[in-house]
Amino acid sequence: MRTYLRRPRRAVLAAAVAITALVLSGCGSGASSSTSASGGGGGGGSADDGTTVTMWTRAGTQTQTQALVDAYNAGHKNKVKLTVFPNEQYPDKIATSAGAHALADIFTSDVVFAPNYVSQGLWSDITADFDALPFKDAVLPSHIKAGSAEGKVYAVPHAADLSVMFYNKALYKQAGLDPDKGPASLAEFADQARAVAKLGGGVHGTYFGGNCGGCVEFTFWPSVWADGGQVMNDAGTASTIDSPQVQAVFKVYHDLYADGTADPASKQEDGTTWLGALQSGKVGIAPGPSSWLPLIRAKGVDVGVAPIPGVSGGTSTFVGGDVAGIAASSSHSRQAWDFLSWSLGDSAQVGVVAKSGQIIARTDLAANQYAAGDPAVLAINRVMANGHTPYALNFNATYNDPQSPWTSTLRGALFGDAGSALAGGQSAITKSLNQH
Amino acid sequence: MGAAYAVPTAVVVTLFFLIPLGLVAVMSVDHWPLLGRATPNFPANYTDMAGDDLLRRAVGFTLKYTIIITVVLFAVSFGLALLVQNPRPGVGALRTAFFLPTAVGFATASLLFLGMLSNEIGPVNPLLRHLGLIGKPIDWITGSPTTALSSTVGLVTWRFAGFNMLILLTGLQAIPTELYEAARVDGAGRVQAFRRITLPLMRPTIALVLIMMITGSLLAFDQFYIMTRGGPDDSTTSVVMVIVRQAFVKFNLGSAAAISVAALGVLIVLNVVQLGVLRRRDS
Amino acid sequence: MIRRRRVAAAGGYYVCAASLAILFLYPLLWSGWASVHIGSRWSLQNYRNLLTYRDGIGTYLVNSVIVTALTVAGTLFVSLLGGYAFGRFSFPGKNVLFLATLAILMVPYPTILIPLYVFLGDLHLQDSLVGLSLVLVMFQLPFATFMMRNAFEAVPGELEDAALVDGCGSLGVLLRVLVHSVRPAVITVALFALLAAWNEFFAALILLNSSEKFTLPVAVVAMEGHSFGSIDYPTMQAGVVFMAIPCLLLFGILQRSYVRGFMSGALKG
Repeated sequence: MRTYLRRPRRAVLAAAVAITALVLSGCGSGASSSTSASGGGGGGGSADDGTTVTMWTRAGTQTQTQALVDAYNAGHKNKVKLTVFPNEQYPDKIATSAGAHALADIFTSDVVFAPNYVSQGLWSDITADFDALPFKDAVLPSHIKAGSAEGKVYAVPHAADLSVMFYNKALYKQAGLDPDKGPASLAEFADQARAVAKLGGGVHGTYFGGNCGGCVEFTFWPSVWADGGQVMNDAGTASTIDSPQVQAVFKVYHDLYADGTADPASKQEDGTTWLGALQSGKVGIAPGPSSWLPLIRAKGVDVGVAPIPGVSGGTSTFVGGDVAGIAASSSHSRQAWDFLSWSLGDSAQVGVVAKSGQIIARTDLAANQYAAGDPAVLAINRVMANGHTPYALNFNATYNDPQSPWTSTLRGALFGDAGSALAGGQSAITKSLNQH
Repeated sequence: MGAAYAVPTAVVVTLFFLIPLGLVAVMSVDHWPLLGRATPNFPANYTDMAGDDLLRRAVGFTLKYTIIITVVLFAVSFGLALLVQNPRPGVGALRTAFFLPTAVGFATASLLFLGMLSNEIGPVNPLLRHLGLIGKPIDWITGSPTTALSSTVGLVTWRFAGFNMLILLTGLQAIPTELYEAARVDGAGRVQAFRRITLPLMRPTIALVLIMMITGSLLAFDQFYIMTRGGPDDSTTSVVMVIVRQAFVKFNLGSAAAISVAALGVLIVLNVVQLGVLRRRDS
Repeated sequence: MIRRRRVAAAGGYYVCAASLAILFLYPLLWSGWASVHIGSRWSLQNYRNLLTYRDGIGTYLVNSVIVTALTVAGTLFVSLLGGYAFGRFSFPGKNVLFLATLAILMVPYPTILIPLYVFLGDLHLQDSLVGLSLVLVMFQLPFATFMMRNAFEAVPGELEDAALVDGCGSLGVLLRVLVHSVRPAVITVALFALLAAWNEFFAALILLNSSEKFTLPVAVVAMEGHSFGSIDYPTMQAGVVFMAIPCLLLFGILQRSYVRGFMSGALKG
C-alpha cells in the first residue's frame, strides 16, 4: 500500500546526490492514480478498530464538521482528528500537500472544486461502498454528480449550503408588504426591494456581492435556471452566459443598483463582509447562503426564507457546500469510509446536522422533526430538490478566483455595458474552461 | 581552514535552497501534475507566458508599483533618517517610534491595515469625515485601482520606513563630522554640504537600500494576497500572485515554475549589475 | 533675535517630528484599542475568542515559541560560523557560496515551497516544527550572513593576532575574542530571526498539517474566517495585538544594542 509513495521519495534523494534532469524527471513517476477504497487498509474485520483518521476542512465549515466529528468520536473506537485551515488558503494547502503526497485521510472541498480534484485523482474510488448504502439515491444527487467521473463516485456530500432569498420581516411590514410571503418572481423581488428602499433612513432594498464571483454565481444562477436557461453546457466546456435568460437576470440587478435600491456598497463587496448587510437589519431582501439563517437570527433579525425565483417565475437553487472524499494516498480508507458513511446516516443527519439548524444532505429526510417546527428550514429543505450544482473542471480559475474572467464579466454586466460584458465574457470564460 | 566554518552555511543553502531550486527548474520544463508522472513540456511553459494576458498586466503593474514604492519609501526613509541623525533630546524615542512597525510581521501588518481601513471598524473614514476632508466613506482597499494602490503604498511605507531609516542612519553617521566642519569653514551652506559631502559618501548605502527596495517590490506578494486580493478588477495583481495562482488555483506547477525561473533570471541580472556598481564605488 | 529663531526652528522640528511619530504609532495604538472593543463597547470577548479557539491559544503559543527559538538558535549558529568564514578567511568557492546565499532573497518564496515540502517529506520532517524552523533559518541566511560577515570584517586584525599569539586556534579566537566584538551584530541577527519566525504565516501554513502544530499566525487567520461572508474584525485585531506585544517589548529592551549592531555591520557592500 505504501510502495507507490516510496518510489518518488527515493528518487528525490538520489537527485540530491546527482542533480541531473534525467534523474529528477523520474521523480514524478511511480505515483499511481487513485486507489480503490475497498482495496486499502487490509483484510476483513470491523472498520471501527480504534484507528486515528486525519481529516482536513476549511474554516467556513468548521462548526458543522466539528459537531459531526465529536459525535462520531463519542460513539466509536476510531477517532477522527480534525484540522481546520483558513478559508482562502485552503485550496493552496490541498494543492501543496497533494503535490507532496501528504494529504490527510479525509479532506473536504467546496463542491465546485470537486470535478477538478477528481480529475487530478486526489480522492479514491468509493463507488462500491457508496452503492452499498441503503439510502444512496437520497444523498444529494447534484453533489454526487460533482464528485463523480465516468460513473465512479469519489466524493460524498459533507455540508450542504443552498442559495435562498432572505427577507426582513420587520421591514416588510413597515413597507406594507406581506411578511409571510417572499417574491414569486424576480420582477416581484425587484418591486419588493424598491418598496423597502422607499422607507429611507439608511435602509436599502437589497444587497449583493458585486466584486465576488462566488457570491454572484451562487445567487444569480438559480434565477437563470428557474427560467429554463443555462450558464454552461453540461460538460462544463462552453459558456452560454450571453443568453436571454442571463441578460434578463443581470438587468434586474443592474437596474436595482443604478437607481440606488441596492446598497452602493454592493459594488465593492468581495464576499468578506457579505453577511453583515443582512445582519444589520437594514436590508429588505437579499439572496444568500442558507447557512446564514442561524447567524442572521443571532443578531435579532427576524427573517423569512423564500426560494430564489426566475425572472418570470419558477424556483431553483445553487446546491453548494462542501463534499468530502478519502485521499488517494490514505492508508486508512476503510476507517475513513466508516466515518463518511456514518455522517450520511440518519443519526448523524438528523441527530447532529438538523438538530443544530444546519442543512441536511439527504432529500428523504427533508421533513425531519427539527425542520418540521421551523418553516424557514422546511422551505430550504424543500427547494433542494430543484437545485443544481454546476459542473466544470476549471471552476476555481474560471469563476471563483478574484482574477477570474467571470469576475470581470459580472462587474461589467452589473456596473457597465452589460451587452458587451456578457458577449466578451462568454468567450473569455469558455477559453478558461478549456485550459487543460 | 575557513572552509570548515562555512560548512553549515553550505549545507543549509544546498539542501534547503539549491536542491528545491533545481527542482523548480526541472518543473519549469515539464508538465507537472499534482499526482502522477511528469512529462516533458519544453518550451511550452515559457512560450505560453507571452500569451498570458493576466501575466502581462501583472508585469506592467509590478513595474509601476516598484517605481512608486521605491520613490515614496526612499524619500520617507531618507527624510526620517535626516530628521533623527543629530543627537537631540528625545531623538531616541523618535527613532524607536519610527522603527516600531518593524516588530509587526508583514502578514500581521496587512491584517492590521485591513481592519484599520475597513468600513466596519476602521477609524480612518470617520476621522477624515470629521476633519471635513471627505464627504462620504471611501472604500480604501477595493474602491478603485487608485485607492487600492494607495492603501498598499501606505501599508508598505509604514512597515518598512523605519527599517530603511536605520540603514540610512548608520550610513549618515559613518560620515566623519570633520568633513562638515571643514565645509562650514569654507563657507558652504547646508544644501551644498548635502550635495557635496552627504550624497557622495552615502552612495553605497543608498545603492544597497534601493536594491533591497527594488527586489522586494518586484517580488511583492503578501500585501496583495492578504489585503487587496489582487483587485479591484485585477488592478493590483503582482507577478508573484500570478505564480501562486498558476500553482494553487490552476494546478499548473510547470507554468508557475517557468514564470519563477524567468523572474529569478531578471533579478540575478539586476543584482549582479548592482553588486558590480557598488564594489567599484567602494574601492 | 537669533535665539528666538533658533527656538522657533527647534519648536518647528519637534512639532514635525512628533506628528510623524504619532502617525507611525497610530495604527498600533488603534489596533490595541480595537481589540478591546466591540462596536464602541469595551469588551474582552475578543481575547476570550482568541484564548478558547480550537486547541487553545496556549498550544499555538508554545508552538510559536519553539519554532522561534529553534530558528534563532539555528540562524545564529550557521551565520556566526559562516560570517567568521566569509569575513576572515579566504577559501575556494567562497564567493560562489556567498552569492548563492544572497540569491535566496531573489526567489519568490511561494515558488520554492512546493519542492521544499516534498523534500522535507523525504527527510521525514514534514508537518514538524523542526522542519519549519530549518526552512526559516534558510530564509534568514542572506541577511544574517551579510550582517555577520561585515561585523567580522570590521574587527581589527590586531585583536585576532593577539589571540593567535597566545596560542588559540581559530575556534578559540572566535569563541574567546571575536564573539564579544561582534555582539551587537549578533543581537541584531537574533532579533530579526526572532521577528521573522514569530510572524511567519505562509510557510507555516504550507509546511504544517496538524492543527495542534499550528503557530500563532496560522491560527489567527483561521480564526477570523469561521463563517462565509463575514470577517470577525475585532477578534482579528486581538490576534494582531497578541502577536505584536512580545515583539514590541523585546524591541524596547534591546533597542540600543541593535542600533549598534547595524553600525558595526555598517553597510559597505
